[in-house]
Amino acid sequence: MSTTRDYQPGPYPREQGRYPAEPDLYPAGYESDDAREFWGDDRGAAADHQPRRRWSKIADEWMEGRIKFGGTGVKRKTAALILLGAWGFLPLFFMLPSLFTFNTNTIGGSVDDTLGTGAMVNLFMCLLVTPAVTLTRQRWFVPLRRWYGIMFACCGIGDALGAAFFDDFAGNPFAKLVEHTFTLIGFLMVLLAIPLFITSNNWAQRKMGRYWKRLQRLTYVIWGLLFFHLATLEGFGFQRGSNGSGFAGDGDAIFHQRLYQYCACSLFLLTVRLPPVKRWIAARQQEGRNRLVFMAVMPIFALFVFGFIFIVNELIFKGTHSFMENPSSE
Amino acid sequence: MNESYAERGYAERGYAEREYAEREYAGGGQKGTRAGGVIITAVALLATFLVLWGLYYATGTGERHKVALAAAGCEPNLLSVNVGCTTVWMLERRWTQLTTSDLRQLNADAADYAFSERRSFAKAESALTAEVTTANAFDTSLRQFPFPPAVAPQATALTQAVHARVKLIGEQARSSSLAQLRSFNARIDASGAAIQTDMKLVRKALFTRPTVNQEP
Repeated sequence: MSTTRDYQPGPYPREQGRYPAEPDLYPAGYESDDAREFWGDDRGAAADHQPRRRWSKIADEWMEGRIKFGGTGVKRKTAALILLGAWGFLPLFFMLPSLFTFNTNTIGGSVDDTLGTGAMVNLFMCLLVTPAVTLTRQRWFVPLRRWYGIMFACCGIGDALGAAFFDDFAGNPFAKLVEHTFTLIGFLMVLLAIPLFITSNNWAQRKMGRYWKRLQRLTYVIWGLLFFHLATLEGFGFQRGSNGSGFAGDGDAIFHQRLYQYCACSLFLLTVRLPPVKRWIAARQQEGRNRLVFMAVMPIFALFVFGFIFIVNELIFKGTHSFMENPSSE
Repeated sequence: MNESYAERGYAERGYAEREYAEREYAGGGQKGTRAGGVIITAVALLATFLVLWGLYYATGTGERHKVALAAAGCEPNLLSVNVGCTTVWMLERRWTQLTTSDLRQLNADAADYAFSERRSFAKAESALTAEVTTANAFDTSLRQFPFPPAVAPQATALTQAVHARVKLIGEQARSSSLAQLRSFNARIDASGAAIQTDMKLVRKALFTRPTVNQEP
């Protein structure tokens, strides 16, 4: 009788030393919908075609090495993960002064912008991990997916609580969350994020077995709902009076339009996830034509960066205002 | 037993999949991956077009910036990191936030005093002390408000009017009897009327869009 403890990813040999029992190292969860997507991976059966060691594997092994830090050794991977993951905490950090002083003016005025934008950044960072694995074949940064997912949930829940209790919409807290289409969709996203947040630990993963993976696929539903949330928030991408991306006096109104930012980022995240595209990438990598892969992906990734930097711009701008407890009125 | 079965299962599955992979990737895997190639090429072309268009659009930022300043009613001398200006709408919202909360509290304190001025000296004195505290907070908020230079004269007049009222209420609070308290009422009302007039002037000046000549 099979148990969850017996569960191993299909095509991989059981080499505990090589593939430690760390859930994030498995191609499980929302990363892998199709076992074949990993055939191009050097861990899979097709690795026999290329006996030489790959640079991705070398990078993973190098990351397992240690660096001296304060008289003790720290894994390079750990240090890199902390450095990369710390940014996920930034939105919550921006809100800390107003939380400590319980400044309801700041919380009500900017929690939706700071934590809402922060949730979006974290969601995209979470979704970026799988394409990064597909393209680089490195796996050392996979734990970031969970971390950014947790930070996304924290920001989303904080945003909802702030909007419910301190926003200047009419009605009771629940009414404030459901009285507009965009708030209702945002509320749905938060409701979906809660079970993902609760089960984002190894214990829940072991207990739920294969159902955990199915549950985690709700991330894609949240991703889809975010489109409608932003579309209804900003007039379906069209500026109408004060309804739109705001008064972008820098002359770059289109770049500040959040629905466009979402689309620019999602194009990359979605394309690299498509099974035919993954197979194409794996095949080209098998042939050693990595340059072709990067040439093909580079414009799509450039578009992702184009959209993402303006989301980060929004986060830092609104976040610093929140941090100084002087909420932006934009 | 269980484990060996599992191992065998994995081995068999691994073999089958290796065979599939060999078939799939035979001859460069062109056949099995053609769809992916078409999709990624199409998306890459679209992305290239959008990135180039974005860069082209960015070259016109300076011109659009000036147009946007005028269109959005920006106050040219107030900087905002994101948009390069503070819009009239932004000032309006901030002004409304400031005045709504502070004036509501001032009115509540004044109502408390009006209720107590003929009944209880202690309560009337307490209401006046509260009013002084609120008025001081309002004064601080006014000093922190980013008034554009064009509004500075009206803002200064308002601040002076608030100062005068705070001073007057402070003197009133030091009274020793209800009758003495009430003797200040006429002057307090007059100072209140002066504040209201100044606030109207500030509001009018604040919400007026700058002319083209005022733009940078």
